[in-house]
Amino acid sequence: MASSCSEASSLLTREELEIVGFSLATAAGATLLILPLGVLAALALARYRGPGKGALETLLSLPLVLPPTAVGLVLLEALGRRSPLGGWLAGHGLELVFTWKAVVLAMAVMSFPLLVRSARTAFEEVDPRLVGLARTLGCGPLAAFRRVTLPLAWRGLLAGVVLAFSRALGEFGATVMIAGNIPGRTQTLALAIFHDNQLGKDDRALVLAAVTTALAFVALWTAEWFTRRRSRRIAA
Amino acid sequence: MARTAFSRWWLLAGASAGALALCSASASRALGARAEPEEISVFAAASLADALAEVGRAWEKASGYRAVFNFGASSDLSRQIRSGAPADVFFSADTTQMDALEREGLVRASDRQDLLSNTLVVIVPAASGATVAGPRDLAAFKTIAVADPQAVPAGVYARSWLEGLGLWTELAPRVVPTLHVRAALAAVESENAEAGIVYRTDAAASKRARIAFEVARGQGPPIRYPVAPLVRSTRRAASAFVAYLRSPEARAVFTRHGFLVLGGE
Repeated sequence: MASSCSEASSLLTREELEIVGFSLATAAGATLLILPLGVLAALALARYRGPGKGALETLLSLPLVLPPTAVGLVLLEALGRRSPLGGWLAGHGLELVFTWKAVVLAMAVMSFPLLVRSARTAFEEVDPRLVGLARTLGCGPLAAFRRVTLPLAWRGLLAGVVLAFSRALGEFGATVMIAGNIPGRTQTLALAIFHDNQLGKDDRALVLAAVTTALAFVALWTAEWFTRRRSRRIAA
Repeated sequence: MARTAFSRWWLLAGASAGALALCSASASRALGARAEPEEISVFAAASLADALAEVGRAWEKASGYRAVFNFGASSDLSRQIRSGAPADVFFSADTTQMDALEREGLVRASDRQDLLSNTLVVIVPAASGATVAGPRDLAAFKTIAVADPQAVPAGVYARSWLEGLGLWTELAPRVVPTLHVRAALAAVESENAEAGIVYRTDAAASKRARIAFEVARGQGPPIRYPVAPLVRSTRRAASAFVAYLRSPEARAVFTRHGFLVLGGE
């Protein structure tokens, strides 16, 4: 472990390691932040059959296809210092714009649809009759979720979590608008690559791009692995 | 049978007549294009956006040529030109970025001219009650928007001013670097940054930000805006445009926007 650590530090400078660490931490924070709401939304979409389902699904998926800058602008208008909400938050000591919290928020909003879409598919594959059965046997809705839905859907849910995490790691447009690009404070890997290129430090940008590629590969491969295992199990 | 052949003949005739009409229309448009004025592409510092656009309009009227502007951080524009962007004229906010072009043989030393100067100011949102009696008071702000001090001229000037005062190390953690000087102005205007350091000319044009402190000429680093036509530009209009920038008409516009015109003739 110690040797692999020193190896990593000889590959990357201290500053670069900090950027990687900051990116991983904020992406993980964003994923954790959206997990409860994402699971609820996915459950609702998987079970709900009433009117407005299509519209709701489309609305929740919008950040997937909107330009990230449009999402960033909406966030900035809603949470900037001049907005009522942003002013109120700042008055209560919560500064968002140009801080790491804004990085987490931008990542959270942009990766939310990926989590919901994967989790919804996983939940839809759970036979509702099993849940109904558990309920008739005296399980409350929470117990039924914990003891029936979750054991059957956890692979798909985890794939969604990993996908959301990777999307968060790659977030650029919304982040740069609401959190700025401040070295050492709000600069993630995606922002650092852009910044280094702007400064003509293309060699460092390439190193960081290689790191992101490696991280994204591992994340996507993990998500694929979970999904494959799930489909094999379903086939069986 | 005969009838279908007949109608097909008409269809063909109609189609060819239509195609002919289209051809002649596009041909006349192509001929018209030849008569269109020569167009040059001017890459210029973001701080010049308002003044230079006005000068450009006056030049177009006077010369019959057309100027298309690309405003941005001089450091970005210089990098773009070095990567082959098709610019005819470069108007930089510092000599460093022009030097980078000269080193690569993209502009000739003899074609360069330092045309304008400017000063730095500290700005705060118009609604802010903050007062700045001196540079030391900058420490009262949590966020100070400055064009990227690692490359963009306005930020490099601001940094060198604060370094000269021995304040940079203390203030650097509060600096929010922006893409160019106008983005620093915008961050203060939107109140998302508590203060900013921009050129006096940027602040003068803004209603939503006010000047809290002016760096006196001679206190800050000397600010110079060099301009030059690109060597590879084959357009006569490029040199004509650079020459026009020295005309009394252009100087009047720059002066009205708050720039100091160098080399008074």
